[in-house]
Amino acid sequence: MTDLGALLDGPAGELAMAVWQRRVSAAQVAELALARARAASEKHGSFLSIAADVAARQAAEVDRRVGSGEIPPLAGVPLAVKDNINVAGLPSTAGSRILEGFVAPDDATCVERLVRAGCVVVGKTNCDEFGMGSSNENSAYGNVRNPWDESRVPGGSSGGSAAAVAALAVPLAIGTDTGGSVRQPAALCSLVGVKPTYGRVSRYGLVAFASSFDQTGVLARTVRDAAVAFTAMAGADPRDSTSLRSPVPDVLSPLAREAGAHQPLRGRRIGLLAEADSAEGGLHGDVGALFRRTAGLLEAAGAAVTTVSVPRVAMAVPVYYLTATAEASSNLARFDGVRYGARRGEGSLGDVYRQTRSRGFGPEVKRRILLGTFALSSGYQDEYYNRAQKVRALLARDFQAAFEQVDAILCPTSPEPAFRLGAKADDPLAMYLADVFTVPASLAGLPAISVPAGFSADGLPIGMQLIGPPDSEPLLFELCGEIERSAGALGARPKGAVA
Amino acid sequence: MRIDAELVARVARLAALELSAEESEAMSGQLTRIVEHFEALRAIPDELLEASADPAASPLRPDEARDGAVGAFLASNAPELSHGHFVVPRVVTRSE
Repeated sequence: MTDLGALLDGPAGELAMAVWQRRVSAAQVAELALARARAASEKHGSFLSIAADVAARQAAEVDRRVGSGEIPPLAGVPLAVKDNINVAGLPSTAGSRILEGFVAPDDATCVERLVRAGCVVVGKTNCDEFGMGSSNENSAYGNVRNPWDESRVPGGSSGGSAAAVAALAVPLAIGTDTGGSVRQPAALCSLVGVKPTYGRVSRYGLVAFASSFDQTGVLARTVRDAAVAFTAMAGADPRDSTSLRSPVPDVLSPLAREAGAHQPLRGRRIGLLAEADSAEGGLHGDVGALFRRTAGLLEAAGAAVTTVSVPRVAMAVPVYYLTATAEASSNLARFDGVRYGARRGEGSLGDVYRQTRSRGFGPEVKRRILLGTFALSSGYQDEYYNRAQKVRALLARDFQAAFEQVDAILCPTSPEPAFRLGAKADDPLAMYLADVFTVPASLAGLPAISVPAGFSADGLPIGMQLIGPPDSEPLLFELCGEIERSAGALGARPKGAVA
Repeated sequence: MRIDAELVARVARLAALELSAEESEAMSGQLTRIVEHFEALRAIPDELLEASADPAASPLRPDEARDGAVGAFLASNAPELSHGHFVVPRVVTRSE
């Protein structure tokens, strides 16, 4: 007899196979995942809404399709969706009071495609307001706790998505990654987190934060699950003019190699980021140790490992925060209480705008709108925003030069394991520096994947990141697959699991 | 540079935000610290900084007419709607 609970604890691929073989129905899986999502919501604050009706309808459709001979790649796989990504008929608050009561009119393209691939949406996950944060402490609806240690943050801004997958509520979640919001929580929760090449996944149906960065990404327990979900989501979309028209690269073939092959990475050139050890804000000793160990694992698998410098990585945090906040100040101008969201205040139209925004936005969102407005304002634009754009271009050229020497760059995803709730809450700059290793790839539009690399001395997950040139996802998945095989972090179960 | 209370007030006005005195004071301190930190970008010599390249042109989709009427979902999400239009406070008034 099939153990439904064990299936939901494991990789999405095995669960889909059980649904194809009709050992379990998608409806049975959805029912258990909904119960676990409710438990995870109570325990960690990871969900903002549970989608029982949507899940029941989608699961019934999967069972019908499987019954008629279809084999959707993610048949019956429960999916958690970050609350800044639209699912038709469900609330989209993006973690903000200003969108309280807003119900999405249609599915985001990435959701539509994952549902077509067989996924069943079980709920919307908590996140930092509008994706602005690295700890999930900026949600208007409460903090999310890390299932590995509930006194610590899960990372952000896709903290609810990460906590839901880590706690075994769902095998798969999607989030948005503007400056690391998929990769960093993945690292802090022992998950695989993928930020695709800019434009590879459509952004139709996302609540925009910073449009020259925003990408939808996937959080999964295994590299293969992440690759299957990426394949389902990726591809051109006429509703997103920034989506890439080129063919989606094949990321599944490189993972199909037989286990135990001798030196499978022979011929691959890996560069260790030279600036990693001198990162501003410091590098945690256990993270540094696993960085070197991971380099050793890749070398043992046949890769040629050297050190490579990307000098302007040291400038990435200022460039990112000047650019992303400027874009946010423009994108968030649409929240004025006129067409949707919660309207507050009385008086003139200007009074309504100001009161709606002042009462609807949280402190971090206001801080970023002010910073971005300052960077774009008359008298300061050249010195701040325009200079940041030029340094951004310089950083992209640094990466191009590095990729003439190596095929991919390895560095930690986060400079430290999960920190305690409240540890950086009063120091925005310290919080921004938590993004030191994730914002460089975002600034250059490059694909990057965080993969579990092991644990700190006190049992906290640590992730390593692989960054490649545009469209190098097949290589990045291959390298992450090798790390997954050899690092020994796969299948570890957090104390806070809801199963 | 120092982001003093006056500059915070100017930027808040541009961003259509109202800040309490406490918020304004906290923002002044935090933004000053952040902006002063970000001034590290000045260390990069100007001769290294080229104008960033123009972004590639966006591909265009076919120009197809769609129903522009306010649908049920837009109507249910609007704070106030009347005869298919969003209701806002009076903008134009007659001077006495």
